[in-house]
Amino acid sequence: MRHFRTLLAHELRSAFFSWNTWAAAGLFLTLMGTLHWFAVLECSRTPQAWTPIEATFRLFWLPLLCVLPLLTMRSFADERRQGTLSALLTTPASPAAIVWAKFLSAWITWALFWIGFTLFPLLVNLRLGTSGDVALFDTSALIGGLCFILVSGLLHVSIGILCSCVTRSATLAALLTFITLLALTAVGGAMESLPIESWAWLGWLREPAAHLRTFGHLQDFAAGILDSRPLILYLTGTLLSIGLAVLAVEGQE
Amino acid sequence: MPETDPQPTAAVVAEMLTKRYGSLTAIENLSFSVAPGEIVGFLGPNGAGKSTTMRILAGTMAGTSGRASIWGESVALNPAAAKRHMAYMPENNPLPEDLRVEEYLTLRARLKDVAAEKINERVAKVMDDCDLTRRAKGRLIGQLSKGFKQRVGIADALLAEPKVVILDEPTIGLDPHQILGIRDLIRSLRGKMAVLISSHILYEVEQVCDKVVIINRGKLVAQGRTEDLRRELFPQAIFNLITQATAAELKVLVSIHEPAATVDAIDAIDAHWHRLKVTLPAHSPLRETLATLMISAGMSLREIAEEHYGLEDIFLAATRRATTEGGRI
Repeated sequence: MRHFRTLLAHELRSAFFSWNTWAAAGLFLTLMGTLHWFAVLECSRTPQAWTPIEATFRLFWLPLLCVLPLLTMRSFADERRQGTLSALLTTPASPAAIVWAKFLSAWITWALFWIGFTLFPLLVNLRLGTSGDVALFDTSALIGGLCFILVSGLLHVSIGILCSCVTRSATLAALLTFITLLALTAVGGAMESLPIESWAWLGWLREPAAHLRTFGHLQDFAAGILDSRPLILYLTGTLLSIGLAVLAVEGQE
Repeated sequence: MPETDPQPTAAVVAEMLTKRYGSLTAIENLSFSVAPGEIVGFLGPNGAGKSTTMRILAGTMAGTSGRASIWGESVALNPAAAKRHMAYMPENNPLPEDLRVEEYLTLRARLKDVAAEKINERVAKVMDDCDLTRRAKGRLIGQLSKGFKQRVGIADALLAEPKVVILDEPTIGLDPHQILGIRDLIRSLRGKMAVLISSHILYEVEQVCDKVVIINRGKLVAQGRTEDLRRELFPQAIFNLITQATAAELKVLVSIHEPAATVDAIDAIDAHWHRLKVTLPAHSPLRETLATLMISAGMSLREIAEEHYGLEDIFLAATRRATTEGGRI
């Protein structure tokens, strides 16, 4: 545990001083700020069935695919390429402590990005004040969306860490993360869009499909519905990815 | 690490270590040991399996079979305990380039379980010992020269005062001054910690090591004290001398005391002086008295010198013997 705390502090410090993190943060905030800006403009022109916050959160897959791989790609791939992971493994710190520290550091950074994003809706609210249209600012959607991002982020970040463990190339790690997250999100989205219920031969997919409806989870969180099933899905997925990452680090040679 | 740890008979034990990569055998049934406080040179040609063996001992690579232990702790079964007793500096000495020297050493001290109240003291001590304090303390590792990076690697190895230090080519890429500094540093560890050091610079190994382990093609070909190996691999003592005696005259004289001795004429320097070569068995008492014997017999002697077999000769002879015999010691 002592090693884990030391490693986590080191990882957070490294992330703070890394140009990579600041570039990813710049990309993330530019992307999300622009999306939110357009959503606010759209809502201010004509009344919509959704709020700008809901609309922006529904596009969470964009930063997920474009920014998250940048955060996790170097975590292990670079260390393996430089050989510093081997040096780290000669200390009494266990591979599990190393993986958990890198994972938690990346997750905290990811969470901070999204907390940074909340400044945009808060600024909109501050600018409009009480005279503004309340539909432009929806506190429950903001808190719910943020909770979804933080919980699903556990799985998404752990996938990024796992992908970084299996290669020495940061670029390849980013690509692997992108493809895996795209598949995960697309499958979830497709499950919601397809009329599976009406296809008898796909009946067996109904139950697992109900678990993988990523956008449905976002809506549930935004609506304040606390369902244990997505929580279990994301937590077990996270533990599985982290476990595989630990095995990959242990067997790195 | 508690100071009350009982001292094992061997600080490092490699027992029938084997490592295979598919059909390729990197090391095979390799066995040797390093006593506490002893400095041992680990020698072998490129690709002999030195780095593989060191990585298995350091716990960064699993062996295919065999047993490796550090200070009595199995590297495979109890890696955390083994690593607490050991420090390893790999061949290319990988270091994070974006950290400052002091920050890096502080981080490593924490990871190596140095007591919190001792971390600053230990970091300052190893930086002093490795001559880093004045010129590299606050600099980014990425900005350091190769020599200073090697020093940082060695400082890291000494940080937690381990019982065993494994150094893979610690002086590679250093200039002669730096090599001298590192050599003195390693020499100063004698008696305090067991050091296993691999190097291509055989003179350097001879200067600092108590014992050598020589491997070739993954197999042990010789191990022991340099002097013992010298006697074993070179059972003859050869003297080159310049004298007025002829080879025949000298042969008559030395044969009285050492029947197995041979005397060969190399060349004539001028009409009076000859260059001769006398070969004696390594254990012959005449080895100590040859010059005195010649002078007392009235033979003029201008020069006498025994051929010295360095570690390079021992290394070459041991690897040659293993290649021709296909065996090992």
